[in-house]
Amino acid sequence: MDLIEQLEREATSEVQAADSTATLRELEIKFLGKSGLYTGLLRQIGQLPAEEKPKFGAKVNEAKARLQAMIEERSADLKSGERSAQFEAERIDVTMPGRPLRVGYEHVLQLTTNKIKRVLGGMGFVYKESPELEEFRYNFDALNYPPDHPAMDEQDTFYVDDQYVLRTQCTDLQGRTFETSRPPLRVFTVGRTYRNEAVDRTHSHTFHQVDCFMVDEGISMAHLKGTLGAFARAMFGDDVKIRFRPDFFPFVEPGVDYAISTPKLFNGRWVELGGAGLIHPNILENYGIDTERYSGFAFGLGVERIPMMAYGVDDLRQFLENDLRFLEQFRAMA
Amino acid sequence: MKFPISMLRDFVQTDLNADQLGDLLTMAGFELEGIEEVDGDSVLDIKVVSNRGDGLSVFGLAREVLAKDSEAKSTALYEEARIDFAVAPDLQRVPSLSIDEDIAAIESEDCNRFACRAFDHVDAAAKSPDWMQVRLSQAGIRPISILVDITNYVMLELGQPLHAFDRDKLAGDRIVVRYAGSGERLTTLNGLEHELDGQMMICDAEKPVGVPGVMGGLDTEVTDATTRLLLESANFKNTNVRKTRKQLGLNTEASYRFERSVDPNGVVRAIERFTDLLLQSQPNVQISNVVDHYPGRVQFEPLILRVARSSVLLGMEISVDQAKSYLERLGMDVTDQGDGSLSVVPPSWRPDIVREIDLVEELGRVHGYERIPEELPIGHTPVGGVIGEYLDRDRLREAAVRAGFIQIWSHSLRDLHPLDAGGQRVGPRNPASPEMAHLRNSLWPCLADAAQRNGGRDLHLFELANVFSRSDQGYLERVELALWSSGALLPTSRQGEKNPEADFFSLKQSVVEIVENLAVEIRFESPNKSDARLHPTRQAVILSESGKACGTLGQLHPDIAEELGLPIQSLVAALDVATLFESSSRTVRLKQISRNPAVRRDISFETPKSIPFATLESAIKTACGDVLERQWLFDVYEGKGIADGNHSLSVALQLRKPGENFTDEEANQVREQAVQALVALGAKPR
Repeated sequence: MDLIEQLEREATSEVQAADSTATLRELEIKFLGKSGLYTGLLRQIGQLPAEEKPKFGAKVNEAKARLQAMIEERSADLKSGERSAQFEAERIDVTMPGRPLRVGYEHVLQLTTNKIKRVLGGMGFVYKESPELEEFRYNFDALNYPPDHPAMDEQDTFYVDDQYVLRTQCTDLQGRTFETSRPPLRVFTVGRTYRNEAVDRTHSHTFHQVDCFMVDEGISMAHLKGTLGAFARAMFGDDVKIRFRPDFFPFVEPGVDYAISTPKLFNGRWVELGGAGLIHPNILENYGIDTERYSGFAFGLGVERIPMMAYGVDDLRQFLENDLRFLEQFRAMA
Repeated sequence: MKFPISMLRDFVQTDLNADQLGDLLTMAGFELEGIEEVDGDSVLDIKVVSNRGDGLSVFGLAREVLAKDSEAKSTALYEEARIDFAVAPDLQRVPSLSIDEDIAAIESEDCNRFACRAFDHVDAAAKSPDWMQVRLSQAGIRPISILVDITNYVMLELGQPLHAFDRDKLAGDRIVVRYAGSGERLTTLNGLEHELDGQMMICDAEKPVGVPGVMGGLDTEVTDATTRLLLESANFKNTNVRKTRKQLGLNTEASYRFERSVDPNGVVRAIERFTDLLLQSQPNVQISNVVDHYPGRVQFEPLILRVARSSVLLGMEISVDQAKSYLERLGMDVTDQGDGSLSVVPPSWRPDIVREIDLVEELGRVHGYERIPEELPIGHTPVGGVIGEYLDRDRLREAAVRAGFIQIWSHSLRDLHPLDAGGQRVGPRNPASPEMAHLRNSLWPCLADAAQRNGGRDLHLFELANVFSRSDQGYLERVELALWSSGALLPTSRQGEKNPEADFFSLKQSVVEIVENLAVEIRFESPNKSDARLHPTRQAVILSESGKACGTLGQLHPDIAEELGLPIQSLVAALDVATLFESSSRTVRLKQISRNPAVRRDISFETPKSIPFATLESAIKTACGDVLERQWLFDVYEGKGIADGNHSLSVALQLRKPGENFTDEEANQVREQAVQALVALGAKPR
């Protein structure tokens, strides 16, 4: 029995003295392992009288269990201390920069275009495109321009030859659409247009336009206003108001220009966005669409105008210069 | 058009202040561009749209104010002007001179109307009255002399350009409006001499003395010594004025108005107003009768306006009575047909009104567009959104972004560039400058420009845009996807960390990843004919699934890279988007996922570098059969132990059988088949 107590005292003192979980693991093996000291003690059971054997065995096992419990308790203590030290040693400065990744992103005008496509697509307009190098007739004749209209001047329009121009507006899509499709129609496009203009902060010979139109039974100026209102609110915020003012474009009658106002931009001042109106019946009739049954609306919009208004871009030229210091600022644009 | 508000108040009595009048005109379609205080009066600057020439006069704008504002009243001057000052009891207008009908003749179809009056005992050296000088200055017109000032004032007020000739300088005391003969000449008031050929001219008995609707001639100009005038007030076809003005390179206030239309019925009104103003300053001037030739009188046919239909199209309710009142206020002759429609004769100053829809617009304008409610269209909803080829293009762009490329948008009009593609070019015949005379036929120059702008190195860019060329069949506009890659593949890393550089194979894999996002498979081959823009031995033609060439990939030719100051190791790729999609089957089919483990076997072999890897790869594939799930090249070595012209390649094979485990022996056997196939091609196992 002395042996058991002696071993227990020895083990207790060593476990209490252990200063790391690693030492404890060694002690566990030394005392409790398969060939540990307690196992050695049990081997002596053979030399004992038969009646003492069960009692001895039981005592050894109780002592083992006590030691096991003590080691576990001690281990938990040590472990928590060790983890604390480890955490302290492994402390990082979270304000240091992240590891660089290479990421791609879209151009600011692309991001604007994406948003326009989502909104008008969601309103049931289907996206289409027409060529930039366009036939004169789709750019002008088909759109009810009188012959000899000033916009046809070489000072205003880039001519490739007598029949082809660099389109001055994305409205060229209308004639192409009416040529092949019948109402009901809801169509839009976003594309590049060209005008023979001198370049400065607010003018460019190359810019981008949205053109959107629909033809159906009973389409009215109220539908135009409702659609533009919904579109403008989706683009600029829920509190956007819309205003029509009479204006003249050969391809719409009545023709208006539309402006928006929101407390978020320019203190609620009216800002003109583009032209709109009911599609001129001359155009629909030219393509054999019955204007007693059908009417339609159309509106246009400059793409550049949107980031210029929303983000304070004040030099149109920057859009096509591709300075990454400029472009990267718009990556988060929604 | 700029004018002081006092001129408007001469015609309209209203409580509205200048700002409110500006807003009213804006909402009537005559946009207020600016308002400023000049010499004690508010000066409005109004933008007039091109089909509303009638708005280029204070009188015309007054009419719009009266139509829009039911509170406003017309003044006596307005009412007198309406009837061409025909009854002006306080004016002494008894002609004391007489001129014959044939003092003027029209021998041209482009002259609608020509009227004139003679004046005698005029003091041409006198100044105009102070009030007129002030108003003209406010309108931005420099006062010069009484005759010039009154002419300008009447044009501003009534919109009718006038021209005063020194009657003593008119040969034969006669005006003929006729087409100029070839070689006739005229020096205009601005001192420019024009050689004429067929243009309509105002002529005296011998020679041209004025460009109709544009500018008078120098020889017959009024001077300080002038005492006898012949005042012209006429109307010309706007297309003719425009054509002549452009041919002669002239541009005046008069031509600006005629090009946009001037009321032909306002011709005599202007003569009378001129007379009135001159007599106010010089009561002793003698005046003649007015000679008036009006062959171009237009009889306007009545238009039928259905008021209910107007309400439908405008989306707001307008009654028949309201409609009638609005149109009458605009000077139209309106008859209620009693069936909900109106018969409307538009006035002579509104040639823009030619069909019912034009009247619908007038109703909307006067009733007020602010009263139109917002409604969303109902009824048919066709498919919307981005579909088909446009969706493919969007997804291609998104794939390029995911592959780590930054999108650029650049100019299509540009100068020539060493990276231009071959072939016939297209460009505007009237370029604004030589730097933008060509439409791009490749996106590589655009990418190179962007690379230069951003420092050249460590750039991974793309553009998806249209390029232009020309063939015997005509112009060709197609969509291209082009990529640029140079420098470190990752942004600057911390010191000592490995940062691989872009090379042919990095961009190649990017291109593969991008197109695989759209279920498109491509192959790369050495081109038969190399692209001179690229490194001759580091370029590939990209082939679609059906073997059609749809693109190019390679390293910039070092000569070009050096010339442009760009890194030697600059990689570019271009894909023709339509060809890429057209010639691909683009099928995606699910392969069942095997639960059985895969086995890997490696083969290393030495082979002549002249054998393309694709050949070896294909031989391995054939030799292994269906059990080859994947193979990849994991080492390339040349140097010590490898014969000159050879290299050593190591390929890993990943083998798997669905529903069964591979035994070692089976795997070795498959490997052996692959080795044999390689040996048959001349490879030596190592």
